[in-house]
Amino acid sequence: MKDALLALAPILVVAFGGLGLMMTEAFGTRKKGGPASDLALGSFIVFMAGAVVSASLWAAGPEQLPGASSTAPWLIVDRFTLFFDTVLCLGAGLSALMAGGYLPEHRLDRGEFFPLLVFSTVGAMILAASGDLLSLFIGLETMSIGVYAMVGFRRGSLRSTEAAVKYFLLGSFAAALLLYGGALIYGITGKTDFASIGAAIKNGLGGRQADFGMLLVAMVLVLAGLAFKVSSVPFHMWTPDAYEGAPTPATSYMAVAVKSAAFAMMLRVLLGVFGDSASMSWGTGWPPVLAALALLTMTVSNLIAGRQESVKRMLAYSSIAHAGYVLVGVVAVIKPGSDAQASVLFYLLSYTVSTAGAFAALILCGSRGREAVSFEDLAGLGKRHPVAAFALSFFLLSLAGMPPTAGFFGKFYIARAGIGAGLNVLTVLLLLNSVIAAYYYLRVMVFMYMREPAPGAPSAIPMRSGYVTAAIVLSAVLVVLLGVWPSTSLKVAIDSALTFR
Amino acid sequence: MEQLQLQFPSSDFSLLALILLLPLVGAFVNGVFGKRLGNQGVRAMALTAVGGSFLLCLVAFAMLVAAPHGHGHTATRFTWNAWRWFTIDGGTSAVPLDVAFSIDPLSGVMMLVVTGIGFLIHLYSTAYMKADPGYYRFFAYLNLFIFSMLVLVLGDNLAVLFVGWEGVGLCSYLLIGFWFNDEKKSSAGKKAFIANRIGDFGLLVAMAMLVYYAGTLRFSTLEESHASLGQMRQLWPIAGLELPSWLIPTEPIRASVPTLVALALFVGCIGKSAQLPLYVWLPDAMAGPTPVSALIHAATMVTAGIYLVARTSFIFVQSPFAMAVVAGIGALTAVFAATIAFAQTDLKKVLAYSTISQLGYMFIGVGSGAFAAGFFHVLTHAFFKGCLFLCAGSVIHAMHHVIHDEEQSQDMRKMGGLRKHMPITHATFLISCLAIAGCPMTSGFFSKDEVLFKAFSSQIITAQKGLWVAPAWYGQAIYALGVIGAVCTAFYMFRAYFLTFWGEFRGWTIVKQAKKAHGHHAHDAHHEGEPLRGQAPHESPWQMTLPLAVLAVFALFGGLVYAEPLHLTALERFWHPVFATASTHVVERAGAHGMMLPLLFVGAAIFAVGTGAAYVVYVVKNGQPAAAFVSAMPGLHRIVRDKWRIDELYQATILGFFDALGETAVAMDKWLIDGVIARATAGIVQVFGAILRLLQTGRVQVYAASMVLGTAGIAWFALAPHATAELDSSKLRSNGELIFTAAPGHGYAYRWAEGDAAMPSEFGSKAVFTTQVDRCATKTVRLEVKNVFGSTTETKFTPCREMGNNCCARIAPSPQASTTQPVKVAPVEGSR
Repeated sequence: MKDALLALAPILVVAFGGLGLMMTEAFGTRKKGGPASDLALGSFIVFMAGAVVSASLWAAGPEQLPGASSTAPWLIVDRFTLFFDTVLCLGAGLSALMAGGYLPEHRLDRGEFFPLLVFSTVGAMILAASGDLLSLFIGLETMSIGVYAMVGFRRGSLRSTEAAVKYFLLGSFAAALLLYGGALIYGITGKTDFASIGAAIKNGLGGRQADFGMLLVAMVLVLAGLAFKVSSVPFHMWTPDAYEGAPTPATSYMAVAVKSAAFAMMLRVLLGVFGDSASMSWGTGWPPVLAALALLTMTVSNLIAGRQESVKRMLAYSSIAHAGYVLVGVVAVIKPGSDAQASVLFYLLSYTVSTAGAFAALILCGSRGREAVSFEDLAGLGKRHPVAAFALSFFLLSLAGMPPTAGFFGKFYIARAGIGAGLNVLTVLLLLNSVIAAYYYLRVMVFMYMREPAPGAPSAIPMRSGYVTAAIVLSAVLVVLLGVWPSTSLKVAIDSALTFR
Repeated sequence: MEQLQLQFPSSDFSLLALILLLPLVGAFVNGVFGKRLGNQGVRAMALTAVGGSFLLCLVAFAMLVAAPHGHGHTATRFTWNAWRWFTIDGGTSAVPLDVAFSIDPLSGVMMLVVTGIGFLIHLYSTAYMKADPGYYRFFAYLNLFIFSMLVLVLGDNLAVLFVGWEGVGLCSYLLIGFWFNDEKKSSAGKKAFIANRIGDFGLLVAMAMLVYYAGTLRFSTLEESHASLGQMRQLWPIAGLELPSWLIPTEPIRASVPTLVALALFVGCIGKSAQLPLYVWLPDAMAGPTPVSALIHAATMVTAGIYLVARTSFIFVQSPFAMAVVAGIGALTAVFAATIAFAQTDLKKVLAYSTISQLGYMFIGVGSGAFAAGFFHVLTHAFFKGCLFLCAGSVIHAMHHVIHDEEQSQDMRKMGGLRKHMPITHATFLISCLAIAGCPMTSGFFSKDEVLFKAFSSQIITAQKGLWVAPAWYGQAIYALGVIGAVCTAFYMFRAYFLTFWGEFRGWTIVKQAKKAHGHHAHDAHHEGEPLRGQAPHESPWQMTLPLAVLAVFALFGGLVYAEPLHLTALERFWHPVFATASTHVVERAGAHGMMLPLLFVGAAIFAVGTGAAYVVYVVKNGQPAAAFVSAMPGLHRIVRDKWRIDELYQATILGFFDALGETAVAMDKWLIDGVIARATAGIVQVFGAILRLLQTGRVQVYAASMVLGTAGIAWFALAPHATAELDSSKLRSNGELIFTAAPGHGYAYRWAEGDAAMPSEFGSKAVFTTQVDRCATKTVRLEVKNVFGSTTETKFTPCREMGNNCCARIAPSPQASTTQPVKVAPVEGSR
C-alpha cells in the first residue's frame, strides 16, 4: 500500500496540489489585482514538484517499489510513465508561467484557469500510465474536458467560444470512435487490460475466425481515435481553429502536453494491444496506415503553414507537422529494439521545450491591444525590441531543426530510427518536409529583421512579465542543454522505452 | 611539479580547460563589453588572456617534458575529456564522439607556438591598431582566433579538430575582411572562405570514411588500430547499384582505404595551407591588417594542414601514393609560388607568395616521411616569417605616416634607404631574411636542409601487395625542385630586402590617384608625381620592436634544437614517439648513405648563389639587369607579375563555368520555372489552397466529414486483403533455394503456385513457400490471399538468380512487368 502510494506520488502530488490551489483561490483574500500571479507561481511549484518526484522515481527505479505493480494494469508505473510524467509536468509548468503573464495582460485574470490546467494534467498523466481501456478512457476525458474549458476561456470572444464548441464536438466524436473500438475489443476478448488483450490476439483469438473481422473493425476505429488526438491529417481540421481561439498559454499546453500524452497513449495501445506480428506487419497491419498518415500530415500541414498570415496559426500548423515527424518514429518501432521509441520520446521532450518557448516568446512579443498576431505585426521588431525578437528566433530555429539546438537532434534521431527500420522513402520525405518548414520559420525572422512596418499599420509592442521571461529562460536553457548534451537525454529516453515482443 | 602532477593526472588533465578558456573569455569580454571598456581595458584583457594562456601552456609543457616516458612506442599524452558530445553509427558499431583535448609532444610544441607568437603579435597589435575605431572588435577576433587554433591543435579527435579548423577559418574570414567597408577587402575575405570550404569538404569526407571503416575518430585509437585500415575497397561499380552493362568494367576499380582517407584529408590541407591549386586566397588575404597576416597567414593557421598530416602520419604512410602526392604538390607549389614572388612590388605580396612556397617545403618534408623535419620547418618558419611580416608591418606603419596612401605605403618602389631610419626593423628583417634564405647556422638553414636531405634520401615502403610505390628517381626530382625553389627564395627575399632598406628613400614623390595611374599596366619606372616633403620615416614604438627582436633571436638560434649536422637532435628525440608508428614505413633509399655532408654544401651554395645574385642585380648594378630583363622579355615579365594569370584562369574556367551555369539557370528559371512550372505549381497550389480553404470553412460538419473520410480510408486499407511476402534469399546464390514468407494478417488464408500452374483449390494456412531457382534464370511465383471477409487478391513474384556476372540485367523484362515485383540478388560482398 505504502509502495503503491509512493509509486503514484507524481499523480498524487499534482492532484493534491491542484486541490490546495483551489482552496487558496476560494478562501484566500487579495488586496488588489487578479489571482493569476499567485496561482501561476503556485501551479508552477506544483508542476515542478510533480516533475521532480517523477524524475527521482525514475532515477531510483520503479522496480525498487514492489507494491507499485498493485495498481497495474489500471495504472502502470514504469520508466515510460515516469518519463512522460516529467515531460507533461514540464510542459504544463511552462504553460502556467505563461498564463501568469498572459492572463493579467489580456484582462482574463480569473483563477479557474489554473485548476483546469492542473487537473487536465492529472488526466494526461493517468493517460500516459494507463494499461487498461477503462483507465485510458478516464484519463483521456479528464484531460480533454479541462482543455475544452481552457480553449473557451475567453468568454467574451466569439472566436474562442466557437473554437471550444468545435473542439468539444469533434473530440466527442473521436472519443466515441475510440470507445466503440474498445467495446468491440472487449466483446471479442472479454478483457479490458492491454496485456491480456494483446495475449489473446497473439494466440489467435482461440481460433474463432469470425472474430477477426470484428478485430479489424476495432483496429480501424481505435486508429482513427488515436489519429484525432495527435491531430494527424485528415483528423486535424479542428486544430488550427482551436489553437487560434484559445488563449496562448492554453494553446501551448495543447500543443505540448496534450500531444505528448496522446503519443504516450498511442505507443501503449499500439505496442500493448496491437503488438502481435499480424497487426505490426508492414504488409497488412497498422504501420502502413500510420506511414500514410505521417506522410499526409507532414506534407499537407507544411504546405498550408507556409501560406498563413497569422503567426499563431502558423505555429498551429507547424505543431501538426511535428506530429507527422513523430509518427515516422512511431512507425519505426516495427523494428525490434528501443531506438525508435527512444527517438519518439526524445523528440517529444525537445519539441516540448522548443514549442513552449516559441509560444512564450510570441506572448512576450505582444501586449494588450498591440498583439503579435500576423507576420506584419512583427515587422521591424528585431530593431525595436531585439531581446523579444531574438527569443522568438531562437525557438523557431530549434523548431526548424538547426544545430546545435534540441530540435536538430530530435529530427536527427527520428531520421536515424527511420533509416534503421528501413523506412528510407519516408525518412527522405521527412527531411524534405523539414526543408519546406524552414521556409515559414525563417519567414518570421525575415519580417522581424529585414522588414520595416508599413506606416500607420499596427505593430506589436512587447509586454513585460517576469513569468513569461522565466518560461523563456527555462525553455532556452533546456533547448541548449538538449542540443549540446543530447546523448544523456537520449540515454534516459532509451531506458524509458516500453519493452515488448 | 609533483604537486601539479597530482592535481592534474594525465588522464584528466583539466589544465587544458584553463588554457582554452582564457582566450575565449577574452574574446567574449572584448566582443561584448569592448566598446564600454575603452582601448586601455581591451588591451589589458586581450594581453592577459593570451599571456595567461601562454604561461599555462609553459606549465603544461614543462609537465609533459617531466612526465615519465610511456612504455615502448606510445607518446606521453595528457588527456582531458570534457563531455560526451554525441554518438553516431559507424560501419560496424556506434561511434561515440567526445569533446576531448590532449597534449602530446607534437601538439605541446604547436600550442606553445600558437600562444607564444600569439602573445607577441597581440602586443605588437596594441600599437599597430592604435588609431583604429574597431580596436575592440579586432582584439575580440584575435582572441577568438587563438581559442579556435588551440581547439584545432589540442583536439583529441578529428571531430574536435574540425571544429577548430572551421573556427580558424571563420576568424580568418572576419579578420581579412576586417575593414569591411572596402569592398575589395571584404571580397578577399569571401575568397578565402570559399577556397577553404572546398578543402573542408575533403576533410568531412575523410571523417565519414574513418567513422565507417575504422569506427573511431580518436587519434590515439586510430593509431593503435591503423593496420586494420589497410584493405582494398571497390570504388566502381558501386555494390548494389543497378548499372547498364557497358558501365561495368571487366576489372573492378579498387583503392586502399588509407589512400582514400589520406587523399581526402590532403584536400582539406590544400585548402587550409594554400597549396596548388587552391592557394589563390592567401595573397588576397593580405588585405587584412598586417599583424593578422603574421599570426594567421604565416605562423599558425596556414600550417594547420601540415599539422593534420603529421597528426595522422600513421594513415598517410600506409599509402605511398598519397605520400607522393603530398610531396609532389608541395614541391610544385614551392617552385611555382617562388617564381611569382620575383615580380611582385608589394612587400606583403612578396611575403605572401614566399609563405606559400615555404608551406610547400613543409609538405615536401611530411610527404617524404620526414615528419619531424617537416614540422620543424613549421616551427622555424613561424619565427622568421612571423618576424618578416611584423617588420613589413613596421615599415608600412612608418611609410603610412609619410605617404598616407594605403596601397603605395606597401609598394617597395616607394621605399629604399630605410635602414638609416629604422635600425631595429632593419636588423631584425635582415636576420629573418638570412634565415629564410638558408644562411648557414640560422634556423631556416637547418630546417630546410633537413627537409631537402630527407626528400633526397627517404623512401616510403609498404608490406601490402598491389600498392603503387614511388620510383627511385622520385625523391631526387623532388629534391631538385626544392633546390630550384630555394635559390629563388634567397634571391627574391634579398631583392625585397635591398629594395626596402638600401639605396635612397624614394617615398618623397608619390602619385595621387594611384589606382588610375597603375592599375593593371604598371611598370617599374617612376611615375610623374607631385613632390612631397615631410617628416622622414621613423622607427616604431617598443610594443612593435620588442616582438621583432624576440622573434629574430629565435629565427637566428632556434635551429639549434634540431640541427642534425651538429648532432643536436633534442627536438627529433622529443617527437620520436609521436611518429614512431609512421617511421616504420620510412627507410633510407639505397645509395643515399653518406650524402648528408655533400648536400650540406649544396645548401650553403644555394644561399650564396641566390643572395649574391640579388646583391649584384639590385645593389651593384642598381637594378639595371632587372630592368633590362623586363624590356627584353616584357611578355614573360607581365605574365609572372600577373601571377601566371591563375586567377584569370579560374575566372575564365571554373568561375566562368559557374557563371554560365548560373546564367543558364537564370534563363531556365525565367522561362521554364517561372513560365511553366511556377505557373503550373502556383495554379495547383491555388486550386489546392482553394479546396483546402473550402474545407477549412469553420463549419464543424465539414471537419467531421473529413474525419469520416479519414476513417473510411483507414478501413479501406485495413479491411482489404494484401498479398505481400518477404524473401529469404540467403541461400539463393549457393543452391538456388528461395524462401517466401507471406505477410501475416488477421484471419488470412494463403495459396501458392509456381509458374503458370493452376492455384490449389483450397486456401490453407501455409504462409511459407520454398522454391528452387536455376542459375541466371527467373522464376514466377504467385501468392493469393483470402481475408476473413472472403475477398481475395493475388501477387506475382519473379526473382532472378544473379551469379555475379550481371546476367540478370541481360534478361529481357517480362511483358507483365508492371504487375510483378522483380527481385534481384546482388553478388555477395567480401566480408569486412
